Amino acid sequence: MKNYKLILSSLSAALLFVGCEDNLNLEPFQEISTEVAIATGENIENILIGTYAEAGENDSYGGDIQMFSDLYGFTNEATWGGTFSQPREVFNKRIFTDNVYVRNIWLNGYEVINGANLVIDNLSLVDEERQATVEGEAKFLRALAYFDLVRLFGQQYEAGEENTQQGVPLSLQGITDYSGDLNIARSSVEEVYSQVVSDLTDAYEMLPETNGIFADKYSAQGLLARVYLQMGNYEGARDAADDVIENSGHSLAASYAGAFNNDADSSEDVFAFQVTSQDGDNDLIVHYADQAAGGRGGDITINDAFVDKFDSEEDERADFFYESAQNDGRLTGKYTNQFANIPFIRLAEMYLIRAEANFRLGTEVGNSPADDVNMVRNRANASSLSSVDLEDILLERELELAFEGFLIHDLKRTKRSVGELSYDDQALVFPIPQREIDVNTLLDQNPGYGI
Amino acid sequence: MKVKLNFFVTLLIGLIVQFSYAQQKTVTGTVIDEQGIPLPGVNVIVEGTVTGTQTDFDGNYSINGEVGETIVFSFVGFQSVEQVLGTSDTINVTLVEATGELEEVVVVGYGTQSKRKLTDNISKLTSEDISEVPTPSIQNAIAGKAAGVQVSQVNGKVEGGVNIRIRGVASIGAGSEPLYVLDGVPLINNNESNNGAPTNPLVTLSSNEIESIDILKDASAAAVYGSRGANGVVIITTKKGKQGKGRFSLNYSTGVSEPTNTREWLNSNEYIELMTEAAVNSFGEADGTEYIEGIFDFLANGTDWRNREVDTDWQDLAFQNGQTTDADVSVSGGSENTSYFFSGAYNNTKGIITGNDLERVTARANISHRVSDKFNAGMNISFSRTEIDRIANDNAFVNPIQAIAQPAISPAYLENGDPNPNTIYPNFLLQEKHAFFNTNIRRVTGKTFAEYLFFPSLKFNTDFGYDLYYQTEDNYVGRLAPFQSTNGQAYASSVGTESYVSSNYFTYDKSFGNVHDLEVVVGVEYNHTNRRFQSVTGIEFPTDDFTTIASAAEITAGNGELSGNRFLSYFGRATYSFLDRYLFKASIRHDGSSRFGNENQFGTFPSLAGGWIVSEEEFLRENDVLSLLKFRVSWGKTGNANIGDFASRNLFTGTSYNQRPGIAPSQAGNTLLTWENVEQYNYGVDFGIINDRISGSVDYYVKNSDGLLFSVPLPGTSGQDVITRNIGVMQNSGIEFALNTDNVVRENFTWSTSFNLSQNRNEVKSLPNNGADIITGQNIFREGQPISAFYMLEYAGVDPENGDALYFTNEEGGVSGETTNNPNDARRVVAGSPYPLWIGGLTNTMNFGGFDFNFTFQGEWGADIYNAGGIYQSANGDYFDNQSRDQLNRWQQPGDITDVPQARLFGANGTVQSTRYLQNADFIRLRNLTFGYTIPTQVTENLKLETFRVYFTGFNLLTFTDYDGYDPEARSDAGQGAGVDFYSPPPARTYSVGVNINF
Repeated sequence: MKNYKLILSSLSAALLFVGCEDNLNLEPFQEISTEVAIATGENIENILIGTYAEAGENDSYGGDIQMFSDLYGFTNEATWGGTFSQPREVFNKRIFTDNVYVRNIWLNGYEVINGANLVIDNLSLVDEERQATVEGEAKFLRALAYFDLVRLFGQQYEAGEENTQQGVPLSLQGITDYSGDLNIARSSVEEVYSQVVSDLTDAYEMLPETNGIFADKYSAQGLLARVYLQMGNYEGARDAADDVIENSGHSLAASYAGAFNNDADSSEDVFAFQVTSQDGDNDLIVHYADQAAGGRGGDITINDAFVDKFDSEEDERADFFYESAQNDGRLTGKYTNQFANIPFIRLAEMYLIRAEANFRLGTEVGNSPADDVNMVRNRANASSLSSVDLEDILLERELELAFEGFLIHDLKRTKRSVGELSYDDQALVFPIPQREIDVNTLLDQNPGYGI
Repeated sequence: MKVKLNFFVTLLIGLIVQFSYAQQKTVTGTVIDEQGIPLPGVNVIVEGTVTGTQTDFDGNYSINGEVGETIVFSFVGFQSVEQVLGTSDTINVTLVEATGELEEVVVVGYGTQSKRKLTDNISKLTSEDISEVPTPSIQNAIAGKAAGVQVSQVNGKVEGGVNIRIRGVASIGAGSEPLYVLDGVPLINNNESNNGAPTNPLVTLSSNEIESIDILKDASAAAVYGSRGANGVVIITTKKGKQGKGRFSLNYSTGVSEPTNTREWLNSNEYIELMTEAAVNSFGEADGTEYIEGIFDFLANGTDWRNREVDTDWQDLAFQNGQTTDADVSVSGGSENTSYFFSGAYNNTKGIITGNDLERVTARANISHRVSDKFNAGMNISFSRTEIDRIANDNAFVNPIQAIAQPAISPAYLENGDPNPNTIYPNFLLQEKHAFFNTNIRRVTGKTFAEYLFFPSLKFNTDFGYDLYYQTEDNYVGRLAPFQSTNGQAYASSVGTESYVSSNYFTYDKSFGNVHDLEVVVGVEYNHTNRRFQSVTGIEFPTDDFTTIASAAEITAGNGELSGNRFLSYFGRATYSFLDRYLFKASIRHDGSSRFGNENQFGTFPSLAGGWIVSEEEFLRENDVLSLLKFRVSWGKTGNANIGDFASRNLFTGTSYNQRPGIAPSQAGNTLLTWENVEQYNYGVDFGIINDRISGSVDYYVKNSDGLLFSVPLPGTSGQDVITRNIGVMQNSGIEFALNTDNVVRENFTWSTSFNLSQNRNEVKSLPNNGADIITGQNIFREGQPISAFYMLEYAGVDPENGDALYFTNEEGGVSGETTNNPNDARRVVAGSPYPLWIGGLTNTMNFGGFDFNFTFQGEWGADIYNAGGIYQSANGDYFDNQSRDQLNRWQQPGDITDVPQARLFGANGTVQSTRYLQNADFIRLRNLTFGYTIPTQVTENLKLETFRVYFTGFNLLTFTDYDGYDPEARSDAGQGAGVDFYSPPPARTYSVGVNINF
């Protein structure tokens, strides 16, 4: 009996300490700490790939930036008839400060920027022979994000002016410590553009001629052409576009339709965002396509006013539409394969940039404006134009590049009105998201968005 | 630690020294219970002296006293017995279990306590309170029955999440759900749903196997659960067998249900009228009419809308007639040394929303055996299987309730009987026909336990508990379902969370004379939880006949996750009473958890309490009116560790681009992260009048939450949008009032009433960054305001001149009452609170002859509800959505006075987030009513039955509210913010009949 009690006593005493404090040190199973993430070259390159993935999300180049850039510019060419009220705010040019899409474009843009910054800050860890490429890609992505943020959240860049109007905050250091003061004020439009140009110039120097699906030298040059065009720097735009056309090895796809809905980049894609059935987003499909193609049925329908702009019956582009099975509306044929890549810089755009810049400068670098325009037209079976003026070139941009995110920016840089709104109307600049104003005391709201 | 243990054991042994005194006479005897089981540890005291002892393992005692003195036999949970010492040397006593409200035993965690001597605030519910309520969720059954406990089912889906808030919301970001402990096992209570709407993880429990639910509300009660006690603790105790012959109990009930409320929508005629007007107002007579008629052509899908050929009642299609069937059977009993309880239960609930069903089977065995007079061991084990046919979350187009957005001119079906695919919004009937989402939850919960009595006053308990929550989800969306473009898509997931807990504790319980009563509990507990999740998605199926991943031609997504957490805890509690009237209690818990950084891994949670039973004092003891008057004071600290497993870390997660692996930042870390601390004071009075015919309590509490865990928005320019921080201070304070009365106590008629009312006032006291507001959507955290207060533009009605919606500018220093028609020129204001100020319940129970009748009213006052769907449903024809009928009151011509602005298609006239869609959510509801009849014993005896009872029961029978939406309790299950209704279905109103048979 005594033994029994003794055994039980010791047993219970032992059980008392069954718990071991070491068990409390549990590490996450499928995530790693920042210290590990920024400790090796391999992981820095992983962050770079992660940054492409961020940029390809719905909120940015998975479609929302392109879609909103067009919705903002549409008057009668196309209609947002979808049920979501927040894209409708953009279409109506009356955006409220709590617009979730606008907020997410902002947030996602800075996620891309922070990812790129982390890569740039830690380049020394990367294999030496890879360093230039990695830095070039990171700078390409950073420039891309800043370029769209400054275009959407700031007033148009005015060539030859000081451009002191407010742009967006310039954050150029990767952030991993969130304990400090993270408030940051907006930089001027000039400062943001000069950062974009400098990043793209660097990227062009550092990137290889070809780089698989990732940004290469000519992706950077192509984007730089677009940036210069927006800035009204026509020499820069012309020369950059010319470089891409002449040296990149890209060629126009055989047919207009062949330039879209491709599972792999076409010969025309200077840069495209990658989508597969397993990763990547395509919000353009969601809102432009009918349900059979993976969309919501056609939130954005194309009106006669747009189709009537085509002057040539044979023009494939005038017939690149289909009828929605859901709402009977006319939908664009550019987005019908939900797992296709999203073309982002097509060679056709380079021809049109070179044409416009040459025309404005009265030069014929590479080719004459008319030949460049016809190059694009002929590919789509449209008749050739014997001569072109600025209006022709700008119209050609509308026809060729419709629904790819160019409209509002073209209208602004050419100082054309959007309906009754002047190109520099406050309503054509996004509000700084309310959530951002709420947390960052240094931010000023854009005029016209109340208090 | 070894040293401490030795010290403790020495101390205990020291305390076990027996008191002995000069003797006149020795009396011996045995104390047994009603079933004849010897009761060890019964206090045997000579009244008015310090002489006392306890019965041994066999219920025997021996005590000395003088003839004529009174000996008092007392034991927790039993009525005390007094015997005058006469000439006999033997006094055998049978103790009868206490039944009165104040004689109850409450479960306090690692032990029990008599309610009379309790210094804490604990609400106890018994099986009678919760059985027969026709709802599959046990939490729903307790609504309105405990003071200060708000129970709200998120909405009317059968598996819907349930929120229980004990004394208000004590946390912002760490969850406000209490800790559930079933027979000593902390229950896994994580929502594991992957369709966007939460499921209630405790829907797996069946109320038939539950003996009691004890709700630990104040810190003194909850502190013994330390870092997990901040939101209160709900202790569920299952039934046990009683000695005697086996007893069968059989219950069966079946019923029907319907929504508590439906709403009025425009019919075809009204829709055409309003929308034509809206289009004309926006685009002019000619263009507007032409445009809208084109839309009508589309919506009508070939039917003749001009002659109103179709007038579909979409709301009617969204709801179905629900049905419930509930059956359970149990066998219980026991021999001298063994007691057993076996039960099985079946529940089948067809929900009120088309496509929503639940079927559940549960079984339980509770067995305990007295191996020797010192050693008890046993096992409780239960398993259950719950299969749920789910529907989409509230914020999905295929949520059936969103069908109310379809205009009445749209036919629901084509001529061939298939659902009409050409509707403005996806037709949920297509989803219903061509897709399914099945969730299966298997749960095994059990424990083995052993108890060893070293001495009658010292025992050791060791429990090993296990809880497994294993859930699978099978989802298939066929090619004809809305948005399906990949020839079918299947999603399958499985998640297994298992938790084991090992608790070991000593209990020392001893009376010294009739002067000192001491109970000490000391122990350690280790809780280990692991979670494993995987899922796979496949597309491209040969036909819709194939619905499992095996037939998918392409696998497009897969996931596998592991996670876990560990808790290691040391705890102790001492309760001491002096002269049965001065009560003291102290407890402490030292908790460590893997969820916090190494620096902050351990926290200590103490509590102190005192009580004074005034009615035991000489000057009141003889008072016939006042049978109990007790004052209580308690203080304690508890924690809330409910923040996710690795919330303190700076993390990167895996991602991919073009199927190449990458990593991306996933979480902004905070190395300083630690638990939320809740410090609570409670002041209470318990009273009983006229032999406890009237009893009740009043409590006042102040609950300060400090270091609140919160997802603080970061400037997005940093690359992350939120960080978890311990910020801010919040206070809940309030009063609770509970009253129980036995109004009539007669042979053939009894009537008792139980009433509770409580007020909880919530205030955010302090926020970081110099008290800067934190705004998420339509909710704000602002110092001096209640948590998650509504923050939005203030709607000012309609300009009688032009029909514009107006908003108060509310500009700082601006003119009061100034309005604008441009929402961007108006400033948001704090406009209400999503949580009620007052909650209450009233239950009446009557028995007359063989009839029994009881009903419970429940009410809430002071909360507001924001109908986020209002901008579509009641938007004066802003878009093609069908409109609520009140929109017919729109402004039409100058001079019209109305609060519905002019109808303008796409005009955004009054459709921004504003108080236009915010309403008071006060309600009173007849929650439950039961009427039963028990066939007289003479009749049942002939049938060899013990009892035979038939009953009718109803749930949510009546609702009184001014809220215009579906239901004042219905909230969005899609995470759209606190207090938001978004196409949220109302709860079910259920009528059910049943029978109980015992033999």
